[in-house]
Amino acid sequence: MMTIEQQVNAANDRVMEILLKGRPVWIDVRPALEVIPGMTRTRILVPGPPLPVERLTTPIRTAVCGAAVHEKLATTSEEAWQMVLRGEITVEPAQDHQCGCAASMVVSASMPVMIAQDRVFGGRGYAPIHPGPNPKCLRWGFYDEDVERDLCWFRDHYGPALGRAVRAAGGIDLVTVLAKTAGMGDENHNRQPAASMYLALQVIPWMLDQEDSERDAMIRHFAANDRFFLHPMMAGVESLTATMKQVPLSTVLAGMGGNGVEFGIQLAGTGNRWYTAPAPVIKGTFLNPSYTEADLLGYLGDSCVTEVYGLGGMSAIAGPAYMRMTGSNIAEARDRTEKARAVSLGEHTFAPIPWDDFRGFPVGLDARKVVGYNILPISHGGSALKRGGQGGAGAAELPMECFKDALRGIYREALRLTPARM
Amino acid sequence: MNCDKILSLFRSELITVNVGPKLFAEALEKQGYQTVQVDWKPVAGGDREMQEILAVLGGLD
Repeated sequence: MMTIEQQVNAANDRVMEILLKGRPVWIDVRPALEVIPGMTRTRILVPGPPLPVERLTTPIRTAVCGAAVHEKLATTSEEAWQMVLRGEITVEPAQDHQCGCAASMVVSASMPVMIAQDRVFGGRGYAPIHPGPNPKCLRWGFYDEDVERDLCWFRDHYGPALGRAVRAAGGIDLVTVLAKTAGMGDENHNRQPAASMYLALQVIPWMLDQEDSERDAMIRHFAANDRFFLHPMMAGVESLTATMKQVPLSTVLAGMGGNGVEFGIQLAGTGNRWYTAPAPVIKGTFLNPSYTEADLLGYLGDSCVTEVYGLGGMSAIAGPAYMRMTGSNIAEARDRTEKARAVSLGEHTFAPIPWDDFRGFPVGLDARKVVGYNILPISHGGSALKRGGQGGAGAAELPMECFKDALRGIYREALRLTPARM
Repeated sequence: MNCDKILSLFRSELITVNVGPKLFAEALEKQGYQTVQVDWKPVAGGDREMQEILAVLGGLD
């Protein structure tokens, strides 16, 4: 009979196989209600761990109420908020539904979401479409007539067009995009111009011959968005975590995100269970010199789920320009990546980093090593303003208490599954 | 009993291996001795509860 340690190691080996051999492919775009498990007409998915609705931050509250009006569940934001308080509109963590919502983004029933499928292990993941460079959007906690017009354009034109293009292309292999753009300076959480451009090369030819009055506007919008790749990549990671979360006792990180108040992680071995701590503030540079740390919320958004796959701060050395932009340097980038390597169980081989002796990015963060070695992984991220909007960009240490609580969770689960041994 | 090896050790240059706070190694270095600092920290930063859990879950080299 295996010891608990042997069982955990075997579970982690299985999860590493999924992370290293899984092949996430962006296959389609569909309305959330049609494809996301557990989605309903009155449910709105939000970033981060669960939070009582009374404690939702201003940008998330604005986005939730905006989405409710967009869905015609209410005629005004105030009416929508009363429905949320009465429980007539339910608010749930997106990652519990294999969906990732970056920053203040929320997902409601009719919104188009990108679908990624892991063609090796079969899991599916979802993410809304990145709204583009306009800072006034639901994704940063704004809602008015302009945002509503954009949401309708995405629902009626852009989303369906992207779906047709991706289907016609036979799917876009996200691992190929990462491999083709290795050594182009993307760390693929907060900086992905190379990946976005390579992705556009694969998709735009399939948009050119579409019959749609908005065709040229859509291509222009797509080509101008150098952050587009973040969201299909998030869907891709969710397609992997869908399978990872079916492996009991694994101590490997399988989800993480912030709601602006609390930061939470999920381990593969306990599925969608969240382990939370007060959300750290993302420190780096401000987009406006008048902003101060007091203007910022704690970590907000699910985009850090890309770090579960070894991107962002985990492989900071791959993106020197992002380090420079956020006031940091090469030595710090190396340190972030080395810290991640010290607490990770593997390394990807398909996207070697030329200036790091062609090493791959570390993947498979093991909570046992984080706690045991007392090494805090560092995630990149964009910071959100308390009033809505992006405040800046930088990095944050993940809270140790999340990882300690997660180990308690796995330990209890191990005792439950193998009581005779204790 | 041949003690030559041990005696030659005491006659050779002193190089100290320090495990724990670097302060001790620095004190010796100030007196002109060479030191080697071992990079060691208590498991889980000394958190007893976590040490007990990790003793069961394993995973540390």
